[in-house]
Amino acid sequence: MIGKKLRKLTFYLQAILVFIIVAFPIYTVLLTSLQYDHDIRTRDISFIPSYITFDHYLTVLQPGHIVPVLDATINSFLVSIGAAALVIVVAVPAAYGMARNRLPGGGKILYALSAVYVIPVALFMIPLFVIFVGAGLNDTRFALIILYTAFLTPFIIWVMKAFVEATPEEVEQAAKLDGCNHIQLFTRIYLPVMRPGIAAAFLYAFVLSWVEFFTPLIFTAELNILTVALGLYRGTIDIQIGQLSAAAVIAMLPVVLLTVFFASRITKVMTGAETK
Amino acid sequence: MTSPGVVGRLWANLKMVIAGSTLRSKEIRFAFFLVLPALLIVGGMYIYPSILTIIFSFSDVDFATLSIRELVGFENYRRLLAEPSFRAVIWRSLYFAFVIVFVTISLAFWIALLLNQKFAGRGIIRTTILLPWAIPPVVAGVLWGQIFHAEAGFLNAIIYQLNLGSGNYAWMADTTIALHVIMMAEIWRFLPFVTLFVLAGIQNIPNSLYDAANMDGASKWNQFRRITFPLTMPVLLPVTVVQLTWAMKSFDTIFVLTGGAEGTRILNYLVYMEAFRYFSLGPASAAAYILLLLKIAAVLIFVLLQRRFIKGGIAK
Repeated sequence: MIGKKLRKLTFYLQAILVFIIVAFPIYTVLLTSLQYDHDIRTRDISFIPSYITFDHYLTVLQPGHIVPVLDATINSFLVSIGAAALVIVVAVPAAYGMARNRLPGGGKILYALSAVYVIPVALFMIPLFVIFVGAGLNDTRFALIILYTAFLTPFIIWVMKAFVEATPEEVEQAAKLDGCNHIQLFTRIYLPVMRPGIAAAFLYAFVLSWVEFFTPLIFTAELNILTVALGLYRGTIDIQIGQLSAAAVIAMLPVVLLTVFFASRITKVMTGAETK
Repeated sequence: MTSPGVVGRLWANLKMVIAGSTLRSKEIRFAFFLVLPALLIVGGMYIYPSILTIIFSFSDVDFATLSIRELVGFENYRRLLAEPSFRAVIWRSLYFAFVIVFVTISLAFWIALLLNQKFAGRGIIRTTILLPWAIPPVVAGVLWGQIFHAEAGFLNAIIYQLNLGSGNYAWMADTTIALHVIMMAEIWRFLPFVTLFVLAGIQNIPNSLYDAANMDGASKWNQFRRITFPLTMPVLLPVTVVQLTWAMKSFDTIFVLTGGAEGTRILNYLVYMEAFRYFSLGPASAAAYILLLLKIAAVLIFVLLQRRFIKGGIAK
């Protein structure tokens, strides 16, 4: 009896420890953004705050602030939504075409495309940078969208292919007997099956685009198309810690909310539980 | 096995598409049409430029026009490998990647085993564990920088408040500590992904195995050692490979936390510096290909190790 209770106790202690490891760093930014700087830049920080102030948020959201948080957030939204939508448009049909050997050798082609995850990013960035500058595509949202799309496509094909292949082949045969042609087979039978996966893939692509740092670092110089991930960095040098943290919280808020909201869905799709 | 390879397959497809008139080839044509945009976008953005850089790595390149001044053979490679500082970066990259993989997987296993049990508040922890994934690396940089801040960071405050010391240690000024802080930040960032996959592996193990083990009176530890661990291996292999390649290409965290200060640079960072700070494309391309070879070697080592491990685990 005591042994059982003790085991339960150590179990909960471990759970709390995990919670602290993961959540504490996030809590520190949140705390910093809600306190005056002189209460943070001291060794007597009270980890449980005695007051809350939104001053830093009001300051960074003012137009003309050194970190253009509002504009950068809008840019991030446009680029991330654009990339996520384009990935879906490209990857979903491709997944269907490659699944079940519809296109002979489709599986092998997918492996070849996935090589982009092993190749060092700089290898393609170097020529692409020069090509994009030459074509005048530098400093455009389009450049970011197309680059993100190319990088996300192979992974999203993997995810979507699992959905196609989880559909029993009898369904396909029955549809064919009912007079479905191959185009209808895709649009009427498989697209509905893939819908939960499409939602998750969109979310995944959106989040990864949102947090991307290296690509905008290389491909954007102009402030007006800054994304939040990069904008923050550009601001880190001249700005107080409280304001920086407030900007950081604003930068992570949309994706954190999405993640919390769709946590179970993400878990299911990522682990393949959804397709079973 | 005679496999025509990707190009051969593509060519065969193309021929079928061109010649196609039967029902099956109509289907193939449709499938090819569906796959084509993905091929064009990924191939155009990545595969073509990668081939271009192979040539660069053997050349003296003019950055502004991307034109090759002259072919120099292995000169770029030879010069890089002759530098002691470059070799130090290679060893550091390997250390960096292997430690990150080992620690992340161990932590992920621990967390996944916890999450695999039913308890009050599991939902909260399940959601929390996903969060680092959604934190932009720059924000991660801000928060780790804040925790390890020299005068009044959170770590120093904790040390001071618990009376463990004066709490004014300049953590990031020491490059060895700074390197490990970067590794910690990377581990924290990878944790959600790896945990999810390990959890999936654990949940795929049929309950009947544990029931049988319980009937035989096997201890929890033995159950973990003989059932959970070996049977999660098939999932662990792809995850370690993916994570290894991720760790080898860490960039953002280093950039934000130390700005790539000497002693905290890994090979991927060096490639960036050669290309986009010094604009010397030849050496940058050569360094990138050395990185690629290093990655392939590291992945092979892992695959071989784990093969042996899986066999050993099941044979017992």
